[in-house]
Amino acid sequence: MRVRWGIVMLPAVVVSVGLLAASQLVFLRMSFFHDRGFGLIDAQPTLGNYLIVATDTFYLGSLYLTVQVALIVVACSLFIGYPVAYVLTRMPARWATLIIAAIVASALVAEVIKVLGLIVIFSADGIVNRTLVALGAASAPIKILGSITGVVLGLLHFTLGFVVLLLFSVLQTIPASLEEAAGVHGASPLRVFWRVVLPLSAPGVLTAGLVIFNLSMGAFTAVSLLGGGRILTLPVLIERTMILETKYAMAACLAAVLLGTVVLINALTALAVSRSRFAIAGSLA
Amino acid sequence: MRYRRPRPSLAQGAATTLMFGVLVFLLSPLLVVAAASLGPGDRPYVSFPPAGFSLHWYFEVPARYWQAIGFSLAVAAGTALASVVIAIPAALGLVRSSFRGKTFVALLLRAPLQIPYVVTGIAFLQAYYLLGSATGLHLRASYPGLVLGHLFLATPYAIGSIAAVLARLNPRLEEAAASLGASPWRVLRRVTLPVILPGIYGGALYAFIISFGEVPVALFLGGAGRTTFPVEMFTSMQFDFSPALLAVSTAVLLISFAVLILIQRSIGFDAVVRAGSAR
Repeated sequence: MRVRWGIVMLPAVVVSVGLLAASQLVFLRMSFFHDRGFGLIDAQPTLGNYLIVATDTFYLGSLYLTVQVALIVVACSLFIGYPVAYVLTRMPARWATLIIAAIVASALVAEVIKVLGLIVIFSADGIVNRTLVALGAASAPIKILGSITGVVLGLLHFTLGFVVLLLFSVLQTIPASLEEAAGVHGASPLRVFWRVVLPLSAPGVLTAGLVIFNLSMGAFTAVSLLGGGRILTLPVLIERTMILETKYAMAACLAAVLLGTVVLINALTALAVSRSRFAIAGSLA
Repeated sequence: MRYRRPRPSLAQGAATTLMFGVLVFLLSPLLVVAAASLGPGDRPYVSFPPAGFSLHWYFEVPARYWQAIGFSLAVAAGTALASVVIAIPAALGLVRSSFRGKTFVALLLRAPLQIPYVVTGIAFLQAYYLLGSATGLHLRASYPGLVLGHLFLATPYAIGSIAAVLARLNPRLEEAAASLGASPWRVLRRVTLPVILPGIYGGALYAFIISFGEVPVALFLGGAGRTTFPVEMFTSMQFDFSPALLAVSTAVLLISFAVLILIQRSIGFDAVVRAGSAR
């Protein structure tokens, strides 16, 4: 007897898609109304919220800041994570396993606890600032908390583990014999990296970059705590608008803008990748 | 001339140093929290390295934190169980069925991965408000309300983890059982499920960790007496910082690592790492 797996999965799909549709439709609908304060809204739908977001420099600045922070975090994560993952694939397996276990363990700890540690380390009288002042590298403690630097450090703490684990699994699949073959034929280590290792791992780098970008665009906890209420990215602003100002419709509109930006950038990347694959296939034909 | 591997270069040295730097960066906050929690109780602020040794702050942890930990554990356990119950049939369908529009269904099932947590939080809260005013069923600040929100976040990971194991399953095992007369249900229960168990554990663990760690969704959906541990920490870190936060965090760290070691002993980290990279 053949099992109809499509039917088996039906209840699960109904629940999952039901949750998706119900939640997303409700807030998207809410974003088209005008706030009257205290969580009340006007009866007439309007595009007013979107017009405000599109013209107000405060909201546009917040969107710009969110994308800017996310791009900085993506760049730093890849530049730091790639060499680390590469070293891990080329070291004795026993050591690599131990280091990966440490990275996984730190990734599994609740984010608030890690941020608490970062606050202690990077505060004005924390160990980093005292060391900098003692070494004469800074005349007075540097303000790290409540600045973009602090926020980026907090997000890196969150993303570096992800990048290293993801790129490790990709780089692991590139046999060392390929690099040796290129070396035998006279390629310098730099050329081996540029012509062999990097192209083979490019899809993995793109995936990792996109995952980090999505995580950073939506990052709330670390940005709120390490930004000290001064770094107002969209997620932080959405929470304030919803809870402090009780402007539900405006908060929904900002959430829609954030979601739209993330989905748009993901879709554009996917499109660019499929185009470039066609281009490669075309040049081979 | 024999080929010799190039000697360790400057670049390799730099990359190795970078790796140790990353390890220090990732692990030091945890060590600092644990060390600073042992500071003397005569000053209400945090100092690292601690100026003395005492367990003072462990006795100063307000009862609401322990309650929050208990509530978080219950929510996380409910989320892990519910997400696996949904993910097993979903993964079976995704891997084994073929129907028109399957790609689209798969896309919808993965969609929550792209939605920022804050957006999920606000979307569920507004949906709960609407449901409450329409039917009188108030899910905000309730146990099922929080589990439902976390279920939304965690299910794609559970599906990914289980589907990854299912895709590698040798179909002959099931064919053999079926040809010996086992009913489809018996094949599922006695062959398929035991073989994909690592994927199920991995998915459940990942769901548990997401639920136990995330702030924004629980911040919106929680409320009076229904506050998760991370939200309690988040609020205190913003408004009434105390070294007692370090003590309760260290307690949670110790419990987490004890559980992780148990998991490593029983199912191994492989399943966890696979679940994490399943997206």
